[in-house]
Amino acid sequence: MADAQPTQGSIEPVLDIQNLSKTFPGTLALDSADFDLRPGEVHALVGQNGSGKSTMIKVLAGYHHPDPGGTITLGGEEVTIHDPAASRELGFRFVHQDLGLVSTLDTVENLALGEGYATGFGGRIRWRAARRDARERIRALGYDFEVRRPVGQLGAAERTGIAIARALHNWEQARVLVVDEPTASLPSNEVSVLFEAIARVRAKGLGVIYISHHLDEVFAIADRVTVLRDGRVVGTHATTDLDEDRLVAMMCGDVQLSPRIDRDTSIPSTPVLEVRSLCGTVVDDVSFTAYSGEVLGIAGLTGSGREQILRLLFGALPRSGEVLVDGKAAPPHPTKSVAAGIALVPADRTGSGSIVDLTVRENFTLPDLKRHSGIGAHLSKAEERAETREWIKELDVRPPRPEAVFDSLSGGNQQKVVLAKWLRMKPRVVLLDEPTQGVDVQAKATIHALARKAAAEGATVVIASSDDAEICDTCDRALIMRDGRFVGQIERDDLSPETISSVQTGAAAIRA
Amino acid sequence: MPRDGSSTVTAARDEENSVMSSRNSSGGSPGAGDEERKNWLAYLGVRRLSAVYLWIFFMVLFGIISGSTFLTSTTYNLVFSGGVVTCVLALAFLVPLACAQYDLSIGALMSLSLAIMVYLSLHSSLPPVVMALIAVGACMCVGAVSGFIIVRLHVNSFIATLGVSQVLLAAVLLISDNKQLVGEFPESWSNAGVNDLFGIPQVLFYLIGISVVLWYVLEFTRVGRYLFATGGNQEAARLSGVKTDRIIWVSLIASGGIAGLAGVIYSMRSGVFSSTIGPGYLFPAVAAVFLGASQLSQRPNVWGTLIAYFALAFGIQGLLLSASSAAVWSQPLFQGVSLIIAVALAARPVAQKLKEARRGSTADPEGGEHPPGASQPATSGGAG
Repeated sequence: MADAQPTQGSIEPVLDIQNLSKTFPGTLALDSADFDLRPGEVHALVGQNGSGKSTMIKVLAGYHHPDPGGTITLGGEEVTIHDPAASRELGFRFVHQDLGLVSTLDTVENLALGEGYATGFGGRIRWRAARRDARERIRALGYDFEVRRPVGQLGAAERTGIAIARALHNWEQARVLVVDEPTASLPSNEVSVLFEAIARVRAKGLGVIYISHHLDEVFAIADRVTVLRDGRVVGTHATTDLDEDRLVAMMCGDVQLSPRIDRDTSIPSTPVLEVRSLCGTVVDDVSFTAYSGEVLGIAGLTGSGREQILRLLFGALPRSGEVLVDGKAAPPHPTKSVAAGIALVPADRTGSGSIVDLTVRENFTLPDLKRHSGIGAHLSKAEERAETREWIKELDVRPPRPEAVFDSLSGGNQQKVVLAKWLRMKPRVVLLDEPTQGVDVQAKATIHALARKAAAEGATVVIASSDDAEICDTCDRALIMRDGRFVGQIERDDLSPETISSVQTGAAAIRA
Repeated sequence: MPRDGSSTVTAARDEENSVMSSRNSSGGSPGAGDEERKNWLAYLGVRRLSAVYLWIFFMVLFGIISGSTFLTSTTYNLVFSGGVVTCVLALAFLVPLACAQYDLSIGALMSLSLAIMVYLSLHSSLPPVVMALIAVGACMCVGAVSGFIIVRLHVNSFIATLGVSQVLLAAVLLISDNKQLVGEFPESWSNAGVNDLFGIPQVLFYLIGISVVLWYVLEFTRVGRYLFATGGNQEAARLSGVKTDRIIWVSLIASGGIAGLAGVIYSMRSGVFSSTIGPGYLFPAVAAVFLGASQLSQRPNVWGTLIAYFALAFGIQGLLLSASSAAVWSQPLFQGVSLIIAVALAARPVAQKLKEARRGSTADPEGGEHPPGASQPATSGGAG
């Protein structure tokens, strides 16, 4: 618990948490945690799923009541946070991962949700004033877009901006802004816009608590970082005193993360996936071939076609062009793609990757129920359960219960189940769209290892990701997209976030 | 190299084990045997069986108030045989609801089926079984048309079937010339509707037969799983290779067929047609399905629907016998109020509080990281 910046120790913290504990029946979610936040500081809070960071945030938000014995001091006064309204009253503001915007309403209306409109005679909404006010508030954060467009039509960064603007309503009274995983749905090039907005917030003297799984962001924006593990504070350090490896080590304890795995060159390079003049709404006449044993990365900025191409390959979106698996055509329909040996793990895990109300078993067996049906189309739940249990053990899904409702699993475990449901089909082509978005470091390692393993067994794995580091760590080769086309190809030895971004932005010469 | 891949998985798992171990020692993860047992315990929970307890409550209450008239075989026969048509109609509503489609045309479909039966009995010399096949076939065709409107024309099922129901109303008015028609069925046909078998109304066997078939299809076949998967998340089911369009289509055809059967059974019991008959059955049927969906597996299910229906039916019957003034208006009042109360109790707010209390006791200290949604059946026995 060494404070690495004693020189700043004299500054009065805006928020000081001492000895905070939270016990749930059977578990100690937060174990005498200490945390302090200075005005004008961005303080990152990192830790894996289950480390206690959400519990701490929920105590601040008034959703959980801490165990007796701990103190929360805000601006020099000890406070008790009874409920969410009290939390807001005290000056806590939150931007949650799911931003809580109504996509059919426009910016003005979304800002008015919860705070109401300025009204004139007879309760008439003073639209002109409301619009002017909305425009000013988003400009104050460094944004500039039309406030009358439905927010569903705006970009992810702009939506995040609206959520921040809304959180900062009456910001004179706000003291602490908590930003929870703001970049989970944000393409990398839009992160800088968000950072700009956060910089403006801190300039106003607010303390910012920044929660993220992306460690590079932590280093880019935070002054200090506090690491939580198993409910305990492992340490608080200035980001300048740390590097990424040390931070990961603090988060994971004394374990070594998996080393980069190189391609198994003993597998003969036969083409598995051949794509000829693939076209979609953004993707424009794309052709490529991927080989057995290969993990192929597709990188590209948002809007480049990267977020669309895998769904086009799978036939989830209307397309033209040809897709061949082992030389045989796969027609553009999900059912036929599955039959041809293609598997797609979509980027939106709960929206299109899984059925959250069904159990783990029902999600897991859905793509191929035939193997468990016998005479008279009878489906054997016992057999299903046995197979599910095997895979749960293999992938260490927690809780290890086939009958757990999918929704009750954490993000990383959900993704393991989604991956497992396809890997059991022994697909020839595995398409992974943003496979590790919003999952913790260890689940990420497991998922990458599974991808490598599938390739090592002779399949072709294609990963489309906005996380350039992910592409570099896992792929044998990367194709870079821009404006719906491939503009470059980078081989294993040259792969680095720098080379990728230079090709993405068009700075480098085309290498393909 | 494959060896390397798998060893990394193991390594990652070991790490996680070390992280999780402290949690497990206090939380404890249930083994397979525990899980089965807990499922059975959970099945006796008030929330999953509230309709059964409600049923028992009515039996005891009205048994005490007016035992001499309520606790008689006449009452049982009346309620059970009288409820068969509504229950079959409820099952017709249940199938599309499993894949999240509303079929509001079931009342009109039953009306159509009955109109065809009566019309054919007056204008043809076909045996009743053939007439029944024609009526059910016609209803399945209408279901197919509704399916086409929903799947191919992308019209919301609510609107599509509401529209279809009006068209059907026009059709039956045309068939019947807006008159009450009295069918001329052979005596054997009418007997099949009112006779007893082993002291139990014969029509009840039809209901049980249809229910068993439907239960088997929904719970023990691929089609049933595909229905629930499509209902849970159509896009995710589609991307898992399920032919969701076809499933929706099939569900509406099945719905039409079952609603047609309801009309056929009605023709056995009464044989009189008037255009006002069908729509009145819609609400009790829909109420039974929604109430039933809060029971047992807590998604639309066959036995929950039947239990819910008969619990309410006995309540209404008891009210009728106990208070003579409660004759006409008590039924809709009772059904409306009990539907709202039952579904409200089973739905979000109460359920969520219970769940949060339970969550704390399972091996998940950061329960809030998962959005609250469906319940956790196997944990309701209480872990840790």
